[in-house]
Parts: sequence; structure tokens; C-alpha cells
Amino acid sequence: MAARTDDDIAIIGWSQSPMVRATNKTETQMLLEVITGAVEHTGITRAELDFTCAGSCDYVAGQAFSFVQNIDAIGAWPPKRDSHVEMDGAWALYEAWVRLLMGDVDVALATGSGRSSTADPGTIYPMEMDPYYLAPLGVDAMTFAGLQAQALVERGAVTERQMAEIAARTRRDAKDNPFAQVSGDFDVDVLLAEDYVRSPLRRHDLPPITDGASAVVIARGDKARELCERPVWITGFAHYAEIHYPGLRDLTKAESVTLAGKAAGLDEAPIQVAELQTAFTHEEPLVASALGLGPDVEINPSGGPLAGNPIMSTGLVRIIEAAARIRDGGTHRALAHSTSGPCLQQNLVCVLEGDER
Amino acid sequence: MTTASRQATIRFPYKRSLGPVMGAFMTALTEQRFLGIRSGDRVICPPREWDPDTAADLSADDLVEVGPAGTVESWTWVAAPGAAHPLDRPFAFALIRLDGADTTLLHAVDAGAIDVMATGMRVAPRWKAERTGHITDVDAFVPGETPEGGGGAGAEEPVTMMEYDAAITYTLPITPNEARDAEWVAQGRFLGLQCPVCGRTYLGSRGYCPVDAVELGAEHEVELPQRGTITNFTIVTPVQYPGQTETDPFPRVHVLLDEHDVVLGYQNLIEVPVEEVRVGLRVQAMWDTTGDAAELEGWIPTGEADVEDPDLVNRIC
Repeated sequence: MAARTDDDIAIIGWSQSPMVRATNKTETQMLLEVITGAVEHTGITRAELDFTCAGSCDYVAGQAFSFVQNIDAIGAWPPKRDSHVEMDGAWALYEAWVRLLMGDVDVALATGSGRSSTADPGTIYPMEMDPYYLAPLGVDAMTFAGLQAQALVERGAVTERQMAEIAARTRRDAKDNPFAQVSGDFDVDVLLAEDYVRSPLRRHDLPPITDGASAVVIARGDKARELCERPVWITGFAHYAEIHYPGLRDLTKAESVTLAGKAAGLDEAPIQVAELQTAFTHEEPLVASALGLGPDVEINPSGGPLAGNPIMSTGLVRIIEAAARIRDGGTHRALAHSTSGPCLQQNLVCVLEGDER
Repeated sequence: MTTASRQATIRFPYKRSLGPVMGAFMTALTEQRFLGIRSGDRVICPPREWDPDTAADLSADDLVEVGPAGTVESWTWVAAPGAAHPLDRPFAFALIRLDGADTTLLHAVDAGAIDVMATGMRVAPRWKAERTGHITDVDAFVPGETPEGGGGAGAEEPVTMMEYDAAITYTLPITPNEARDAEWVAQGRFLGLQCPVCGRTYLGSRGYCPVDAVELGAEHEVELPQRGTITNFTIVTPVQYPGQTETDPFPRVHVLLDEHDVVLGYQNLIEVPVEEVRVGLRVQAMWDTTGDAAELEGWIPTGEADVEDPDLVNRIC
């Protein structure tokens, strides 16, 4: 393993909110709590954050420039270098990582936040699709997932029973996750007796509607070691997008997942844990196979997005869960994945490593 | 736990220009025809202005007619349609490869029952009688080889614009601070919240001191005065966008309250002609108390002498 240098960047603290069906807190309040949680977890104050980047969505918030008031949660006086992405917080962390690579500042914060409870997601999602050919048809996330799932089932890549088994496994794993919204023991045959919501997807194949937020603190080389006894190093970070319109893609493949994994150096050493933003059951085998994950890799031990899906934060939570496995568990190397757009259009892979012990 | 909430619907009445390729596709829909676009060895439908793989510019000269029937390549059954969906009874969304095309079009299939749906099935469009050059000019596809519906002539002029009128209804929980602030306003009073760290005072609906990132609550309440000074203003000349109810130019003023360092922004100024609105004008709050709850109508001059302070204009927050 290469020696760490000052250009190596590590995750040194984090926090996530409980994932709930509906919060009565404002998005700013959720952020205030997780930012406080993350800086306390790091053992620093807000004043030590050199750069902040937030991931959130105006259509979800129901307000143009909703991220401006979220700056209240940062304590941005004296003014801070701040940025925002209309993407999951995982992309906010990517921007913060790129910012630290410039070398002139040492500590950065990334957040992800969203309250999906405030409106019907089926009316929000189409607003973000191709406005000519897709949005006017009201094509929602469940529909895109159903079309991809059907293609995979007919290709023989997955069965409805395997999908139900993934739901049962992740809900069982989520019993150990104090933040999870959906958890417990479920019988696969009982799950399969349910009606379709979007064939071949049943309720258990879909993520819950979730409110939540998360925050991650990263730092450069020596600063990371100074602030943190066990930094979790980001050894690779990349994202790729493919064409938006699903009719132009082979939905049984996820090429941008493969490319992002390669660019993030996934092949350089074996990993033990993968936290994947697979919010629909059929996406798990597709993404796992696109990343070349073998049966020895533990997938979504937190329960994953099927146990809680705080839109705009779900991907950053994957990075937190993977980092937590390294800092608190026996894992040495893990990956986190995030996705955006219809049918896994855009994909991000973050590879994390602990120090040799 | 039940929480007080308010509902708000945001409308997005978009008008979009279509460009040469999508404009031609939409125009053809009014004529009950589908167009794809040739790019190398393949035909892409719905057509795009660029090849999705190479980004090569595609020309409207390369448009070719496809369909009208096609083959379902994937589908999903929608058992309980939502308000934004094209049909109000159970239907399928499907990826349909129109005859002559190499890619698929996403649209609805009105199959009646899930058992009718199958990958590989043949479908044909059911046209609307009134067609405007819009993806929903196809009401839905139906099983079989034969187009249905339609009639009448196509567009007289090429279609260059399309409308997309969406709406999202939000139900937002009201925070305890917002609820208390509304109670004070209903009594004709202004609630303030003072930060315990820096001492700055904010309007009572706010949740935090943004400087110290400290949560504010009932224990930080102070009553704000009803008088102040105009620090800055603008005269708005109304533009008749959807939802605009004003017709004549009107002022919006910033008011710096007495005693507390609080600025109320974008306030209504009443009984003052727009040409007499000025920085330094002393004003007091005017409440409408005729109903059960008081409502702030705006601000009226107190008659006191203007405040002469060249820095006043900078106080907008």
C-alpha cells in the first residue's frame, strides 16, 4: 500500500439523522443537527471548516434557492467558502474532495438533506426528467425502475423471488441499524403474495419515502491525522453519466457503474464491504455485477436504501456507513456507491481504506 | 403526533421551444405520423439533435418516418395511476420500438389488463382527436397493428413551441416558532427572538441565529416595537405574469425597527404616493383588526421628521 501523503484526503467525522417517514423539523433544522453532530464527532468547531458543500433539491424542498436558507445551519459568519450541488450529498462530498485537492485549505464539510414527505414523489420526479418526451407523461421513479426490472427479469439476470430475498435480507440487516426506517423479519413467500405496484415490483422492492439528512467532514493528510486517530482514507472517487433517455440504453447493463468503479481504483485491491445506493431490489445484482463484486463482499450491511431512502442524502449515507465499517469494524477496504437519474443513469463510486493495523 | 401544517401548490407553466428536430417530430404527431432520425446505421426515435454516443450533430434532413405500429421491448404495469399519468385507469408504461426504429419510445399502453401485456407484443397508437404537437397527442398505444382515433388535419404551421403545465402540492409542517409568531401577529404584535450567544435579534418565525448556528425558541422571545425608519425601497411596476394581481406601480420598503436592530424587508407602504417614498421616512405599523385575527396591512408615516443618516440606505438586513 502506498504511503499516505498530504494529498491524501480522509473522512474524519460524520453524522446522520434518524430516517423517518415524516419529520416536523425544517430541512435547515435537520441540517443544523447533523452538522453539529459531525463537527462534534470530529472534535472540531464550525469555525474550523474551510469549505462547505451541500446537496439538496429545490423541487423536493418546494422552494427555489432553498439551499440559501440552509446556510443558517453552517454558521457562515465570518463568511465561508460555500457551494451547493442539486445532487445527492455524495456529489457534494465529491466537490469538497476536489476542493481539498487544490491544496490551499485543509478541512471541508459535505451535507445531503431532503424532506420527501412534503409532497407526492410521483409529482416531483417527472419534473426532473426530459421535459419534451418524458415529463409530460408523468413518468415517475417507480415506473423507470419497473421497466428496468422487467428487462432484467426477462434477460434472466434476476428473479422476483431473488428480489424478495434481497428485501428480506436488507430489512433483517437493518435491525442492527439504529437509523433505519424499515426493518424486521419478513417471510419471502408472504412478500411474494403481495400485489404489484409497478410490475414486476411489489411494495418490498421499493424504498420507503423518507425524510433525513447527513453530514461528513474530510481533511487533508497531516490535518486528518492531527484531528483523527483513525482516519478513513478516500483512495478513489469518480462518477460517470450515460444518456438520459432510457429508450437509448440497454437497461440490462450499467456501464457507467463499471467505469466509475474502474476510475476509482476498485480493481487495485479486494474490498470487504459495499454500500450501494440500490433503492430498488433488482438494482442490487445489476450494480454488484457491474462492479464485479464477488460473493465474499458484504452488500449493504446497514440495510441500504430499502431500509431508509432520504432522497438527496441516501448516497452520502452510503459513504458514512462504509466509513463506519472501517473505523468501527474489522473492515479494511470498502466502497460506497451513489446514483442519480432514471434507471441508474449516473453513478458515483467512492473507495475507502483504513490504515494498516 | 399530529403537527399543524400548511398546503401550497406550485405551478410550473412552462413554454418550451422545440428546435428543428423535436419541432419536426411534434409537427408530425399532429399529422398522425412518427419521425425518427437517422444516425449512421441506426434510426433513433424519438429523434434527438445529437447522436447520443458520438455527440455528432444530426440534421432535420435525416428525419425518416417510422411506425406507426411497434413492438414492446419492456413494460411495467401501473395498477393505481397517479394524477400526472396519461390514463386514469390501470395501464402499462412501455418501451416501444416503432417499426423502422432501432431505439425505443416510452409511452403508455392501454391494454385493459396486465395479462394482455407481454414483451414482444405489437402495439399501435390511439391518436387524440385534438392534436397540438405534444407527446400526449398519442393518448396511449393499444394492442394490435392498427392505429385508432385521430381524424382531422395536422397543424397548419410547423409546431415550434410546446406547453408543459405541471403542479406540485406541498404539505409543510409549521414549526413551533412559526406557530408562535402567527399567534403574536394575530394579536397585532411583532415577535422577536434574541440570540443568547451574540445578542442579535431576529423575527420570531426564524429558527436559528445564522451567525452562531444556535437554535432559537420560546426562551429567547422579545417584543419588537411597532415603529421604525425606512432604510431602502423599490417601486415595483407590475408585469402581468401568472398570479400577479397588482396593476399599478407600488412600493416595497425595508423598515429598521426602533430599539432593536431588526429590519423588516419588502414591506407594504400605504398612504404614500410612490414619488414621495424615501429613505429616512418614519413609519408605524398599520393593522387590520376587523377580523378575528389581526393582519398587518402595511406601514404609514408617523409624521415625525425624517431621519438624516447617509448610512441608513445600507441597512437591508
